[in-house]
Amino acid sequence: MVNTIITKNLNVYYGDKQAINDISLHFLKNKVTALIGPSGCGKSTFLRCINRMNDVIDICRVEGTISLNGLDIYSKEIEVEHLREKIGMVFQKPNPFPKSIYDNVAYGPRIHGITDKKDEMDLIVETSLKKAGLYAEVKDRLDDMGTSLSGGQQQRLCIARAIAIKPEVILMDEPCSALDPIATSIIEELITDLKKSYTIIIVTHSMQQAARVSDKTAFFHLGNLIEEGDTSKIFTKPDHQKTNDYITGRFG
Amino acid sequence: MTNLAKRKKAELRFKFYGIFSVFLSLLFVAILMQNIFSAGIGGFYKTVFVTSIHFDQNLLNLEDNPSEEQIKKSSFRKLIKYNFNELFKEYSKDEIKQIKKLFYRKIDIELKNFLINNPEFLNQTTNVDLTTSTHIDQIHKGNFDRTVPEKQRSVNNLQLNIYDKFIDEKKVKKVWNSTYFTSGDSRDPESAGVASSVMGSVFTILICFLLSFPIAIFASIYLEEFAKRGKMTDLIEININNLAAVPSIIFGLLGLGILLNFFGLPRSTALVGGIVLSFMTLPTIIVACRSSLRAVPPSIREAALALGATKNQVVFHHVLPLAMPGTLTGTIIGLARAIGETAPLLMIGMVAFIMDIPSNPLEPAVGMPAQIYLWSESSERGFIEKTSSAIILLLMFLIVVNFVSVYFRKKYEKKW
Repeated sequence: MVNTIITKNLNVYYGDKQAINDISLHFLKNKVTALIGPSGCGKSTFLRCINRMNDVIDICRVEGTISLNGLDIYSKEIEVEHLREKIGMVFQKPNPFPKSIYDNVAYGPRIHGITDKKDEMDLIVETSLKKAGLYAEVKDRLDDMGTSLSGGQQQRLCIARAIAIKPEVILMDEPCSALDPIATSIIEELITDLKKSYTIIIVTHSMQQAARVSDKTAFFHLGNLIEEGDTSKIFTKPDHQKTNDYITGRFG
Repeated sequence: MTNLAKRKKAELRFKFYGIFSVFLSLLFVAILMQNIFSAGIGGFYKTVFVTSIHFDQNLLNLEDNPSEEQIKKSSFRKLIKYNFNELFKEYSKDEIKQIKKLFYRKIDIELKNFLINNPEFLNQTTNVDLTTSTHIDQIHKGNFDRTVPEKQRSVNNLQLNIYDKFIDEKKVKKVWNSTYFTSGDSRDPESAGVASSVMGSVFTILICFLLSFPIAIFASIYLEEFAKRGKMTDLIEININNLAAVPSIIFGLLGLGILLNFFGLPRSTALVGGIVLSFMTLPTIIVACRSSLRAVPPSIREAALALGATKNQVVFHHVLPLAMPGTLTGTIIGLARAIGETAPLLMIGMVAFIMDIPSNPLEPAVGMPAQIYLWSESSERGFIEKTSSAIILLLMFLIVVNFVSVYFRKKYEKKW
């Protein structure tokens, strides 16, 4: 088992307020790890530290280390743009660019200069859309606006856009919270499919979703990591009383 | 129940007020339009006398097959004298002098141009359209009261009789006044045109746009996307908002003090006018651009950042294109205001009598509003019409500018 991402003693502050409290976690390669916990427990903050999306928030301060394949991502040698090339992200609300479906997928490869040949780009777009399970639905209208798709399709487009630059890790921040059950189940199947090639970290509010798609689960509460381990264990016999209360719906 | 009836009644009353206000404002616009158009449409036409002229070679002192240069040099005085004496044989010398005043005083130039364009008529007799004097023009357009005693009229009875005779002979025509669009300002209403002021306005607005649009966009992007929020940005923000409310004549004083007196830029030129108007337009565009940058959803920025785009790429690939429609709306408002501005131009000498059509922004020019202002001060009847015609043109100019920018706005507008 290979660890892709390791966090050590991670503390995150928003101004004076501490949002994450000394969290050490490791994420296995080609596995799906679910982060669960009640609202405001710091799961999203934690996730956004991994690709340094918190950098844009002025008052946010990060202490401790996060390493990707053994390299500290907050060190000076790592350019944040390169880091985000390796760690893709899918957001809670589908946010395709108001451009064509093709351009949405091609944008990442284009800015990173992966290719400037039309046929190679076509291939990247096609394979990315295929991997995201969207190609069959949109292959005849790649020039349509990405924003004209349905919510579920938009989210798959965002996944295709993220995988077009061949990342190692995909972060998903409640990717199904804005979708209906059918679209949700399609995305969940997709996640199971994608873990063959990527390491996936998913934040979710749905206990069932965590149980269905993840191999590992970590339970957060008020910025603390309460418990982590194999999903089957967390959901059947958790060590901690709080975890038990949360997954059985007694609080949160 | 009675309460509900009361509320419904209030709603009805409010609706009525609304309809009344809309109706009232439409009425004002309609009255304004009716006024300007009824007074101004005539200015696009002029009255001509179809006069038979014999182009005698000897009277013009020309050789056979003269070159354009030779015709230009020759004097048409004798020719006109001869033709008028022929045409009005039955009148005395003194009367012919008065008859001549029915025509525009520079018909020699018209005849010259006619012969240059049609040299085959040398030694031939042909009908030429000769511009009437502005008084006859006004009579023909119906702006004349014949009941006024002769002494108080600009046209005496003899002249009126000749005019009536021409009418009977069907020698009076109303034709499209192309001089109005091709010539500059003049002391004579017959030959005064808007070309110099239109070109002046075009150059001024072009310079204003070229300066203010990019500067405003870069300033807004820096303030909105890159600058760290603090006391400094707040101060700049307040200043920009205040600048947008400064009376326009102050900007003219600024132009006079700094651009003309300190930097020594040429007076009365479109370059200086454009710079002054861009001072005035900048804050309007900056305010509009900043608010539309702020309106771009943060999710789009996040999406691009998460793909590894640099801040610059996020701004120029995603945020700015989405903010463009709003920015263009602000630009239209700013430029429309600048086009109609006279006060700041007054200070830098752009309200002046300019006969020559400027060919570049460094030549003396007037803007259309300044031209309208100058003409409106003239006492001659013919200029009243010219003023309204120029207002119509200015309105059309504004409409064209608006349509162009609406087109670009629609082009950039995207839905999501």
